[in-house]
Amino acid sequence: MVHALEEIRRLFKRNGVLVNILPAPEGYFIEVHHDGRILFAERKRETLSEDVLRAEAAIKQVLDRGLFVIDKKDEFDFRTYGSSVSEVRAYWEEQNAYEEEPKAKDVLAREEYLYAQVEEMLDELREGAEVAIHERVRIARLSAVK
Amino acid sequence: MTIRSDPEENEIRTLLDLVDFSGKHVLEIGCGDGRLTWRYAEAAAHVTGIEPFEEAIRRANANQPDTLRDKVAFHHSAFEDFAAARESETFDVAILSWSL
Repeated sequence: MVHALEEIRRLFKRNGVLVNILPAPEGYFIEVHHDGRILFAERKRETLSEDVLRAEAAIKQVLDRGLFVIDKKDEFDFRTYGSSVSEVRAYWEEQNAYEEEPKAKDVLAREEYLYAQVEEMLDELREGAEVAIHERVRIARLSAVK
Repeated sequence: MTIRSDPEENEIRTLLDLVDFSGKHVLEIGCGDGRLTWRYAEAAAHVTGIEPFEEAIRRANANQPDTLRDKVAFHHSAFEDFAAARESETFDVAILSWSL
């Protein structure tokens, strides 16, 4: 990861800007939305994945070495909506196909439990109900120091 | 119904608060199916999107708006391979989109 950041810096023209988008420590939630209201919201994962922690460590290393400086940081909410659990799950799995770290058994069990609850709610609510994956996301602008 | 990602547009609003893409040569690492790319590419001079997931790149190319065909190029590649074949000092902006 540090090598990738060094390569990005090499590819930059003068005054190059790197934007890094990563999940926030709050993790992500599974929600049920109906008529503009959130009827269900549970944390899907308790901690940041090892991949994200490794990415954070790599960023810290290039900052410590003076290769980049952080100009600005912010956070935002990112939601992915679908009308069924299966639709959202398939999308989510595809988006995370390159995640290196296999999920722990307890994480998988919790996900199954939450998805089952959401499926039940969607069946009861029917028309107009949606399932959403809600991620709290960090974004930072870093300038390359050359 | 199809999947809707960030219909509230929180991501692009925050991104545009951080970066002025006007006239910039942009490298988007982990561009996926171009979901974010379409939202800022119009302002940029040129966007290069790279993504190791072949199916996502296929969709990005298939969904590319005609108005952006000359402006956006997608590559099915891991970043390390892409970077190794590139000259220095090519890009003004790089976006690591959930991909470091």
